[in-house]
Amino acid sequence: MKAPAKKRRYAGSAVKARYAYGTARVHAMKVKLFPQETYTKLLVMALPELARFIEESEYKTEVDELARTYSGTDLLEFATHLNLARTFVKLTEMTMGEPHELIVEYLRRWDIREIKTILRGKLYGASDEEILRVLVPSGELSLEFLQSLVRKPSIEEVIEALKGTVYYEVIKDIDYSESLMKLEDALDKFYYMRMVDLVSKIKGSSLYLRVVQMEIDIANLKTLFRLRNAGISGGRALEYFVPNGLYLSDQEIEKMASAPYEEFVTLLGKYPYWSAISDIVTDRMESLSKIELRLDKFLNEHVWKASTFNPLTVLPMLGYMLSKDTEVGNIQAIARGKEAGLSEDIIKDHLTL
Amino acid sequence: MALREVKPTRSELLEIKKKIRLSESGYNLLKMKRDGLILEFFDVLEKAKDASMDLANTYKVAKEKIDVAKMVEGVIEVYSAAFALKHKPEVALTSRSLMGVVVPEVSFTSISQSIDERGYGIIGTSSAIDEAAAAYEELLDKVIRAAEVETAVKRLLVEIERIKRRVNALEFRVIPDLKEAEAFIVFRLEEMERENIFRLKKIKIKAKAAEAA
Repeated sequence: MKAPAKKRRYAGSAVKARYAYGTARVHAMKVKLFPQETYTKLLVMALPELARFIEESEYKTEVDELARTYSGTDLLEFATHLNLARTFVKLTEMTMGEPHELIVEYLRRWDIREIKTILRGKLYGASDEEILRVLVPSGELSLEFLQSLVRKPSIEEVIEALKGTVYYEVIKDIDYSESLMKLEDALDKFYYMRMVDLVSKIKGSSLYLRVVQMEIDIANLKTLFRLRNAGISGGRALEYFVPNGLYLSDQEIEKMASAPYEEFVTLLGKYPYWSAISDIVTDRMESLSKIELRLDKFLNEHVWKASTFNPLTVLPMLGYMLSKDTEVGNIQAIARGKEAGLSEDIIKDHLTL
Repeated sequence: MALREVKPTRSELLEIKKKIRLSESGYNLLKMKRDGLILEFFDVLEKAKDASMDLANTYKVAKEKIDVAKMVEGVIEVYSAAFALKHKPEVALTSRSLMGVVVPEVSFTSISQSIDERGYGIIGTSSAIDEAAAAYEELLDKVIRAAEVETAVKRLLVEIERIKRRVNALEFRVIPDLKEAEAFIVFRLEEMERENIFRLKKIKIKAKAAEAA
């Protein structure tokens, strides 16, 4: 009689081990992030004091490096962004296999940002130095490659030079003679649709897929509010929405885009996002910044919660990247707010805490 | 006018009387023009004050919006979005006459645009950028309006000064000099008349004396 085959107790253990390793590494990195109390301290500091604090923190290396090129609040902003970029590169280097691929895909949003900046700069007629000054490579595209794009004399040549990357096919046939809007929106839509496509093919990634689709919903909601404020509705509005969201379908979005205010609020109330913004949405809104901030916070909180209970997924790493991005965003908001002489309350309103 | 240069003749008197009439007529016309210009000036000044205050308030709002955009998005994103804005304002400059003063008339296509016309993608940008862009578009419109009105104020001021100098010159210099010359000629002519009469009398007396002898 043949002995029964031993059951494999740890199916997919190699994949899980990679996630576990990544999670352990980001757990150690997360300790270096500013705790919430730090922002309370930073808010009451004067700008020179704040600069000194940042210079003596984790951002010291980048501040020292860029001190020759930038000064003041520009130095703080560029140094923190450079640190963010390097942190993300470190994450891609320390992960491998599936988590590595997912992180690289997530970071394409920064590649897309840099491509947009370069194309915009060429359209405007900015000098190479002006464009390079606002590039902070944080994704897969290296600084050298981006510099080579900047050196191209025209938009056509920049697009041609993107051959071999995933972005070329997306934008090669788009007419940009009037403006770059269609091209930029195509890149953003491509990012989200590619993420959904990739993540849905990975076994056991339903939670991450949910996060990606939630992000699509939130991007669409922000667009919806902006279009309503601008009086754009109907078919014209639909071209700005990304498909494959978690809750919001195309039909729902089209209905909400054209609905009068009361109906819009009723339709929006069906979704969990409403809880984050119900107290600040009104009919004629002068500023939508608060709504966008609350929606971002809603997504971040969801990711942080999900990452806590799902350590063997990419969510902890994603949670860390969001936390790091939030920290850089908060430092930037406090520094710029103080530079502009805005009150503590206004600055605090624009922090993600 | 130096009295030494004035020839005390009847033809000169007629000439001077003509000049006085012309100067007084010119003086009255210039005074009316000056008064009219001052009225126009105050009217345009009110508009300039409103335009200036409006501009200052709009600038304040635009500065707040760009500060918030820099705070929320960072200066990197703000610069990047600014590169995408392709539409430049087109200004057509013509002129019109305001009581004879040439003032500029600026017609321009407003650069205020909807968010889907500015040139940057909608999906990847935020409302902070929209609000800053809209505020600066409005500011640019106000700058052009204010420039038009303030230039009109400056030109009116320059013209009023010029007219005022001419009016004063006529009132305190030209007309008094001419009147002085007129008085001088009249006096000299009367004197010459008196001398003539006296001479004739003397000749008559001598002639009578010679006859009597």
